[in-house]
Amino acid sequence: MLTSIPGNWIACKDCDLLLERVATPPGGKALCPRCENPLYQYREQGIERTLALAITGLLLFIPANLLPVMSLQLIGQETSTTIYEGSLVLFREGLYWTALLVFSASVVIPLCKLLLMLFVSGYLYLGRSSPLLPYAMRYYHHIDEWGMLEVYMLSVLVAVVKLKGMASVIPDIGLYCFIGLLLVTTLMSSLLDHDAVWQQIEHGQGRSPA
Amino acid sequence: MQTTTARDLGLIRCETCGKLAFDVDHDGYEEHCPRCHGHMHMRATNSLARTWSLLITAAILYIPANILPIMTVTYFGSGTPDTIMSGIIQLLQHGSYPVAAVIFIASILVPLLKMVALLILLLSVQFKWVLDDRQRTRMYRAVELVGRWSMLDMFVIALLVALVNYGSIAHIVSGPGATAFGSVVVLTMLAATTFDARLIWDKQRTDD
Repeated sequence: MLTSIPGNWIACKDCDLLLERVATPPGGKALCPRCENPLYQYREQGIERTLALAITGLLLFIPANLLPVMSLQLIGQETSTTIYEGSLVLFREGLYWTALLVFSASVVIPLCKLLLMLFVSGYLYLGRSSPLLPYAMRYYHHIDEWGMLEVYMLSVLVAVVKLKGMASVIPDIGLYCFIGLLLVTTLMSSLLDHDAVWQQIEHGQGRSPA
Repeated sequence: MQTTTARDLGLIRCETCGKLAFDVDHDGYEEHCPRCHGHMHMRATNSLARTWSLLITAAILYIPANILPIMTVTYFGSGTPDTIMSGIIQLLQHGSYPVAAVIFIASILVPLLKMVALLILLLSVQFKWVLDDRQRTRMYRAVELVGRWSMLDMFVIALLVALVNYGSIAHIVSGPGATAFGSVVVLTMLAATTFDARLIWDKQRTDD
């Protein structure tokens, strides 16, 4: 019977197969041999990249949310909307639950994800440890799939087509910031190797091992 | 191929951080993960029962989501309540085929296929059907991946009600169908989370 667990052992998330971690080339991804679930990937300077993307994302978050994304012109009148305004209108119309859902998925959760990643990657980059790091990473894991900026982007395109026959739609400066924010957060999520971050949190080492 | 699972050696994999730990008292549960301090479960608690209840609730709500209007467009005084399907038909009549296809896939096809896929997964695990385990895991991952895209229509409604606000000339108001539809999306996403994919592979071992 086992008395201690070798440090390089991992189990597959989807089929529980016990495996040994093997070295992957930079940019490579390890898949479970039984169910093909991605296990971990190796990124050079993963922490540095995550930190850079989190900071960029937070900078873009402010104009993307405060500036109007679209304007609508109809018989000489112009209305514009920001990302959060749609939720406000839904709330005023009494659809509280829908308003909350839209607001969380398009504003609150993307912001929380950026802040949590800034905290985690910032601390790891500086080589410092904090008792809060495991909690931050855990919350990130739990809210990860509920941030839906890319879905929001597609819905902007759909709304433009739907309004085409009714009035003229003009994209605003906020939309360009939003596209930037979307690219940054998508890159951040797809480049992040949860396994590597957890290992670094556990061993308290800042810079990624060579 | 080596087929030792973590459970075979009495190890629990933390569902949050992936850390392996001994199941000390052999009850499939540990209070604290040594790495992330979360609870550890050998297998998700009551995974089948929870997924069943979420899935059934979602299936029931899918009916009002499609029957009730999701929004009402008032244009020069005349207002017509729109359901998801009537909105798609209107887009087709205006010749916006790509957008009609996108909405049809995201709002009708994806929720429906997702519920059918979860149903197949639940039935196959519950009644120990002999199906390709790798295929079923692939199906599960597809369900996890596409679920979020059904939120598309919710965002479209939020954008339209905020933009089109010209009093009696043109005005768009949201409808109760939107709440039902949003609930379907959230419930199916939760159902996908509560389903433990490892159950697909556990079955195989007991059968051998």
